[in-house]
Amino acid sequence: MIAIEILRTERATKKFGDLTALDAVDVTLDKGVILGMIGPNGSGKTTLFNVISGIYTPASGEVRYKGQKITKKKPHFICRIGIARTFQVVQPFSQMTVLENVVVSALYGKGLGLKDAREKGEEVLEFVGLKEKIHSLPDNMTTPDRRRLELARALATEPEVILLDETMAGLTPAEIEEVLGLLRDVNKRGITIFMVEHIMRAVMTLCERIIVLNYGRKIAEGTPEEVAENKEVIKAYLGDRYV
Amino acid sequence: MVVLLAIVPIDISGYWLRLITFIFMWIGLAGSINLITGYTGYLDFGHVAFFGIGAYVTGIVMLKLGIPFFPAMFIGAVISGIMAVVVGIPTMRLKGAYFAIAMLVFAEGMKQVALVLEGITGGGNGLSLPIYTNYTFFYYCMFGAVLLTVGTTYWFERSKFGFALMAIREGELAAEVSGVNTFYCKLVAFGISAFVAGIIGGIYAYWMTFLYPGDAFNVLTTVHMIVMAFFGGAGTLLGPIIGASLLAIIEELLWAEFRYTYLIIVGFIVVIVVLYIPRGIVGLVREKVLAK
Repeated sequence: MIAIEILRTERATKKFGDLTALDAVDVTLDKGVILGMIGPNGSGKTTLFNVISGIYTPASGEVRYKGQKITKKKPHFICRIGIARTFQVVQPFSQMTVLENVVVSALYGKGLGLKDAREKGEEVLEFVGLKEKIHSLPDNMTTPDRRRLELARALATEPEVILLDETMAGLTPAEIEEVLGLLRDVNKRGITIFMVEHIMRAVMTLCERIIVLNYGRKIAEGTPEEVAENKEVIKAYLGDRYV
Repeated sequence: MVVLLAIVPIDISGYWLRLITFIFMWIGLAGSINLITGYTGYLDFGHVAFFGIGAYVTGIVMLKLGIPFFPAMFIGAVISGIMAVVVGIPTMRLKGAYFAIAMLVFAEGMKQVALVLEGITGGGNGLSLPIYTNYTFFYYCMFGAVLLTVGTTYWFERSKFGFALMAIREGELAAEVSGVNTFYCKLVAFGISAFVAGIIGGIYAYWMTFLYPGDAFNVLTTVHMIVMAFFGGAGTLLGPIIGASLLAIIEELLWAEFRYTYLIIVGFIVVIVVLYIPRGIVGLVREKVLAK
């Protein structure tokens, strides 16, 4: 099978004052893959997601989606053309029901009418396993359920690429197992996944390829095994003594 | 209820007609601010500006151009809406208190404009409109304004656009990455909200027949709108109706009894509302019903 490129960043750079949060990062994402991204805290993972999804404008460099430049586009536009994302800290619409939360992204991310958006919302919520909680308020739900809701909101836009920012943080091993299964199903639907994850076991089992960021630079890229043995990566995580 | 209110003015005295017309005006104004503050989540501390602009433009257009009342009122409301979009382009990038302060400054600025442009607005001498004393006419005008406000709010509640606004209120960034063009939606909502306030301002101008910058752009009017909307329940259809009616009646009764101290008592009521029923009367009832 020939790999078809769907998303790429070219020397994406983001600065906050004197701090270079993202330093000329190149990432290529092929259609249908699950790409993992790891790196110590503050290494620029979320910043890269924010640059791709249009929340930040990069200081230099480009973001291309299906060959089209999307570098200075607004987040809502990027969502509408097929790149959805979740947040590390879940951001549900607290005063709206679970279904209404998902309906918003079906209405605007996918551009459906009210009736179709409702159906789409119900379908997606069933898929992520929140069918029984359709009329609950997010504040009354557990952390794993709120993460599922975050995922459902992204899925309701019918994305081609989904950026997942630590979907499994704070979950128990059993819950992680469930989410892993869910993400595999998402991928089987043909959705390309780009995920930040600290839980190494999850990244190792799910991703074919992993990139590693440290101090805003990409320091390694390869299969999980290659990355795990990479000296730069070990140094970044554990310090010089362990190399 | 609507039918009842529509036939009421046939045989009631001037006092009651005037009181109910005022209550209608407050329902309309509270409903107008509810669109931007209750549904969209932007606390507008300068909303009176759009009431004032509607009032002054209506008056000026009638006097200087000799245009009849209804088209004049419409022009006033449209200009009000346009002003909201214009001022919203910079201010709606601000959040929370910063937006509130920017709008407060805008309203005060408009008051100064009305004072300075003496040639057009009459400045500190005020502006006298053509006198029209058919108070039943104004009753129906304000009643129409209430229907307009309620209708718009109902549309906000039920439409795709309303979903976008509520999502913006609950989390602007999350709304944006869900595909909502938040900036555009906020501006449209602000424009609509100001249009409604402008209509009411126009009616008020013709009804009162006299405009003075300090009255038309009185910051207390904004405070009243906010308190009424929150008292009844911001972000709900019935909230501003209940809040405005109750508070207007309470104030009227207190004013009759305690002419000089009634505002202190009103202040106490506001404090109690903020402390004990932050979601307003409608929110309180809804919680009780849900708890059952």
